[in-house]
Amino acid sequence: MMPIGNGTHSQWASFVKAMTFSHLSHLQCSGCGKEYAHQEIHTFCPDCQSPLLSIYDLDRARQETDRDEISHRRKGMWRWHEVLPVIHPENQIFLGEGDTPLLSLPHLEEQLGLSRLYVKDESSNPTGSFKARGLAAAISKAKELGVEKVIIPTAGNAGGAMAAYAARAGLEAYIFMPKDTPFANIEESRMAGAEVVLVDGLISDAAGMAGEKARAEGWFDVSTFKEPYRVEGKKVMGYELAEAFHWQLPDVIIYPTGGGTGLVGMWKAFEEMEKVGWLENTKRPRMVSVQADGCAPVVKAFEAKASFCDFWTNAHTIASGLRVPKSFADHLILEDIYESNGTAIAVSDEAILESQKQLAKAEGIFAAPEGAATLAALKELIKQNWLHADEQIVLFNTGSGLKYLDYGSV
Amino acid sequence: MAHNILYIEDNPDNMMLVQRALESRGYHLLKAMKGEDGVAKAESEQVDLILLDINLPDIDGYEVARRLRASSKRELKSVPIIAVTANALKGDAEKALDAGCDVYMSKPINIRELWARVEAFVPTS
Repeated sequence: MMPIGNGTHSQWASFVKAMTFSHLSHLQCSGCGKEYAHQEIHTFCPDCQSPLLSIYDLDRARQETDRDEISHRRKGMWRWHEVLPVIHPENQIFLGEGDTPLLSLPHLEEQLGLSRLYVKDESSNPTGSFKARGLAAAISKAKELGVEKVIIPTAGNAGGAMAAYAARAGLEAYIFMPKDTPFANIEESRMAGAEVVLVDGLISDAAGMAGEKARAEGWFDVSTFKEPYRVEGKKVMGYELAEAFHWQLPDVIIYPTGGGTGLVGMWKAFEEMEKVGWLENTKRPRMVSVQADGCAPVVKAFEAKASFCDFWTNAHTIASGLRVPKSFADHLILEDIYESNGTAIAVSDEAILESQKQLAKAEGIFAAPEGAATLAALKELIKQNWLHADEQIVLFNTGSGLKYLDYGSV
Repeated sequence: MAHNILYIEDNPDNMMLVQRALESRGYHLLKAMKGEDGVAKAESEQVDLILLDINLPDIDGYEVARRLRASSKRELKSVPIIAVTANALKGDAEKALDAGCDVYMSKPINIRELWARVEAFVPTS
């Protein structure tokens, strides 16, 4: 803390401004509850090896932050800076992420017999996917903490996003990707100056190699949930949804789940908003986790009412973002689905491809396979009578189909 | 009486973390830093569950699992084996299960999950 009386008025003013820019209070282990200082570099809890989550002074946010004032700020993820982890505004790396459109789907409503169906279309983020949000937060915070070299294992889009934000932040980037990662992801990463290593295996194999490299050479590992801040960027999807629905949450959110950062992040956002008093009521959405039937660890665990996932063997699906044999935050994903009275559902690659075409033809949205999987899941849930026709339902398209052209999906 | 859990692992940090975690739950940990030592210890001592790292300095964890399952000590054909590894080669989990392991866990080991997995095989009470 800067001592009072030591420093100029402008220094003090900027100090106060910096103190209120973010209400980040500390980090807390999602497993054992141990607290950690946010001013230091952390990965995951060294005691119980669970992910760390950012905790904010929400009482102060309630007093100082006006949700309606936020609506008038410059568009983008960082307008929610009070509930984001960057302390000093100059450390924000902004490439235009956030404030993606929430589109109604009138033709699909008609085809499916629904009345309030939407898609949150994340393809308009920088680098064409929702990964931009998480990496914007993580790289900005890494820069703030003095990190110079970052490393990531990725099934594709996270690599491209990290490369872009690292380039903008002036950080060195190292990326491990499965060799069958879409060409666009490889090329965009290399274009942004990242060192790319193609791995003969899955993202779990890439994660192992990246972890070894990080430990051996001191690179900061930005793997999903192995640092605390990607989930903070992703959670803003939840804030944007609440704002778009006039501070009431939709009935159902159908979300593709690989690492689960977005699902866990949105649930965290809902909790935070409730504590800050921004929501008009306490109704929460039922969260639907969508996976591919060639890699469905969350679905299997959900059906067994388990707290953790078994490692999925022989994982395969065209939706590369869903090819995650076991998320490091599986217990958080499952907790949130259970708490929301939601469900988990697996869909076939054929259903994904069919839904991808349907979404494009009916509504003009060329979704990533992971996003198309949410439409495939919706159709299955309708068959199961799990939904009511008049419910407010939000699909998440996590990225642009244009990044997957080498799969020949169109 | 406390259940005996044999942990075959060459990394002392992992060994210490797991020892602390399991002893806090009332388990007794037997330790081996090499694969062959682990097989020998499993054959000579009463073991209720085995945690098995794959990357070991002598024989790998797959070979350890195969030798345990082929052991003349009958109990080792059915003793639960949990493979615990940060291996970075394609098909690790599949190979571990094929070699006779019951469960595959990837590092970093989530301690709450470890407790749950161990408890499922050898309940503390």
